[in-house]
Amino acid sequence: MPSHDLDTQVKLAMYDITAATGRVPNSQEVSERIDVGESEVLAAFERLQAKRLLLPEPGDPGRIRMAPPFSGIPTPFPVEANGKQYYANCVWDAYGVAAALHCDAFSRASDGHTGEPLTLEVKNGAPVLKSYVAHFAVPAAHWWDDLIFT
Amino acid sequence: MLLFRSEETVNAWCAARNIPRRPLVNLEQLWQLAVHWYANRLTVESRRPAPDEMVSIFASLGLTGPFWNPKSDQWK
Repeated sequence: MPSHDLDTQVKLAMYDITAATGRVPNSQEVSERIDVGESEVLAAFERLQAKRLLLPEPGDPGRIRMAPPFSGIPTPFPVEANGKQYYANCVWDAYGVAAALHCDAFSRASDGHTGEPLTLEVKNGAPVLKSYVAHFAVPAAHWWDDLIFT
Repeated sequence: MLLFRSEETVNAWCAARNIPRRPLVNLEQLWQLAVHWYANRLTVESRRPAPDEMVSIFASLGLTGPFWNPKSDQWK
């Protein structure tokens, strides 16, 4: 990826590794992938955070908590796609994994109150519609105030 | 952003946490939001929609009002 600026290289490496493995990489893995010093990758992480394209793990800037729609840690929104398991950050991002990867997907989610298993599916490029609903507890103006809660 | 079987379980979740009930989004709207946000996320050009673009996307899905305006100060 030599023709792209560093931030783009880091972004693409982050997503390439995630898409291929189902796991969001850390700064060291991104550094090795694009052959750039880890300190430069960390600086790029900060800039990408400012663009709201990733969220580092609180207190650990080398780990990525969220590379939307992907989560760096297990969540209640696992998504099976392309023969791999990903984790999404929220119900919006569960669909987002299928949208980002341009493939069908299946998520074993659950009702936010009762815990009842609920499944989300994207088949032939479209959602399998059910009467479920998503509740947006936080107004759009404040989504990034505390993105983990949002 | 959580998933619920029905409006009733949303209301129960809000009541249990003393959280105000906020807007609900159906699965078709949610899928369209996902496509708008993420369809090009793995590409060179990818970026998060700008605030005005967000308002347009939400409005195209029937999601209007200050709750869906990222520049709104009504909720501070």
